[in-house]
Parts: sequence; C-alpha cells; structure tokens
Amino acid sequence: MKKQYALALMLAAAVPGAGAMVLSSQGLIPFWAYAAVLIAGFPLFVLGLGLYWMAHEGEADIPFLGY
Amino acid sequence: MIAELLFATFFGLLLLGIHRKVIARIQRRPGPPVWQEILHMLKFSFKTTWVPATASTALFVGVVLVAIGIWTAALLVILSGGSLLVIFAIYMLHKIVEHGFGLSSGSPYGKFGGVRSVISAASEIPLFVTVAAIAIFTKSLMISDIVAYQELEGPLLATIPLAAVAMYVVLLSKMPFGPFSIVESKELVSGYKTEHFGVWRAGLEVCNGLKTYVLLLTFILVFIGSLPFWMVLIAMVLITVSLSFVCAVSPMLSPYDSVTIQTLIAGLMVAYVAILGVMS
Repeated sequence: MKKQYALALMLAAAVPGAGAMVLSSQGLIPFWAYAAVLIAGFPLFVLGLGLYWMAHEGEADIPFLGY
Repeated sequence: MIAELLFATFFGLLLLGIHRKVIARIQRRPGPPVWQEILHMLKFSFKTTWVPATASTALFVGVVLVAIGIWTAALLVILSGGSLLVIFAIYMLHKIVEHGFGLSSGSPYGKFGGVRSVISAASEIPLFVTVAAIAIFTKSLMISDIVAYQELEGPLLATIPLAAVAMYVVLLSKMPFGPFSIVESKELVSGYKTEHFGVWRAGLEVCNGLKTYVLLLTFILVFIGSLPFWMVLIAMVLITVSLSFVCAVSPMLSPYDSVTIQTLIAGLMVAYVAILGVMS
C-alpha cells in the first residue's frame, strides 16, 4: 500500500470520528449514530495508522508474498 | 467517548502485562515489564506487514477490522448501560472471529487454532446460565437496571455467588496462558493468530486490550455494581491478579479435558439456576 493511501485511510476514519464527537457533544446527532461512526472508524484508524508508519514513499509494499 | 476507547485499549493491555508479570513472579521468573503488551502493540505496528500467499486477503484483513469493531461496540454498550445480552452476543461473535483468523491464513497452525476455538465454545454455556441467574433476580438484563438493582439490594456477588464463579470461569477461559487457553496452545505455535503479523497483529493486540477491559468491567458492573472509577480500576487489577494466580499454578488442559470440565461446570450451573428458579 502506498503511503498516501494509508494516510487517506487513516483520515477517512479519523475525520468522521472527530466530527461525530463534536456533533454528539452539541446534541446534533443521537448517541447511536456517534457510536456507529466509532465502531466503523476505530478499526480503520488503527490499521491505517500502522500501515502509514511502515509504508514506503514509492512503490506499494502490500501484498508482499511472505512465503 | 473516544478518550474512553483509547483508555480502555491501553489499560486493557496494561492488565494483560500485569497478568504476564504475576504469572512470571509466581513461577520465579523475572518476567517482562508490565507495559510489555503495550510495547508489543506498538512494536507490531512497525514490523513489516504482509499477506501470505496462501491467505484469503479479504478475510485475512477484514477479520482484524471486525475483531476491533465488535469490542469497540461492546465497550460503547457497557458505557451506555445497554443490554447484557449484546455483550454476550459479542463474546460469541469473538469465537467466530477467532475461527476466521485461523482459517483466513491457510496455515495449518491457524486452522487448528480456529477449530479449537469452535470446540471451546463450551465455555459459553456457563455464560448463558449466568444470564439466567441474573434475570431471575433483577427482572431485566439492561446493565443500567442491574446496577440500579444492586444499589438497592446489594451486590449480586453475595446473592448469587455461584453465578459469579461461572462468569469468573468465562474470564479465565479468555485469559492467555490459562488452563482453558487451548486456542493458543504452544503446539500450534500461536494458534489462530500465527500468521497475522505486523499491523494485523497490532490490530489484534488492540482487540485483546479492549476485550480484557470490557469483560472485567462487565464482571464488576454485573456482580459488584457501580463503584467510583478509581475503585473500578483497582478491582480490575485485583481480579486480573487472581486470574493470573490460577493460570500460574494450573497446567494447560488438553482440548478434551478443557471442554469436559467446562461442560461439567455448565451442568452444575444449570442445576443451580433451576434451584434458584424454584425457590424464587
């Protein structure tokens, strides 16, 4: 995966999560909507962050055939 | 809620580190530092990540997302005082996730780990009986109602101690290095997670941290009730240490013995709940 794709994945998870937190604190969206965004976004954020750290700037490195 | 999610992840990993440390000290080994599991999670984030040639890529990656997602959901259900049944449904889903982990890689070690995960589903039977015992007294399975009941009537730990023991066995079956940890037995290398390395393993570590925190918090809320936050954390540490002691002094059972003992416990619990039901 290219580094910019990993960054995009991470941001695609983090931005809606932060947005949902703000909207929920203002009472603009119900709790279940906030929870749904977190449940979908947190796993993507964790993997996106790890992939971003290790991805190379140039060629994609996943999938690497490990065997 | 995001802060609680991050705290639960790191504190759950810290509890697993304490678990390893206590086991090591009881066995007269120095053991790793208590923050070792947090370091593990960070370390795996920086490791080279790959998808094995024999793996189903979609399942191999997707199951990591599902693993984190379901325990995130479980934490949110607890924090919102939702249904205990949802927590236990997620616990059941985790079995399927473990199975998915094992089968997705194409590795024989992973497959055996996944199969053992299904075999050890017997550990869920005491869980259902626990739910029945709680429902007899509280007339509700909403965590908020169970906590409110205990504020009036006292901890359920004193009212239905055997149900607490059954839940404790369930916690024990989920702790690594325990007598029922047949899914991660050393003859299977690392069991269902053998081939998940790098970022995928880091994701699994996050899942394990959340799972440990959620299960211990569930036990405290359901059998002790509402406590100040700092006391909840101390109670979690104490329960973890007690689980570590059991894990340190008991050998890992063979799959057949593990399932047999858990089934016997389930049978005793069914009889206990039947007596409770008749007497209430």
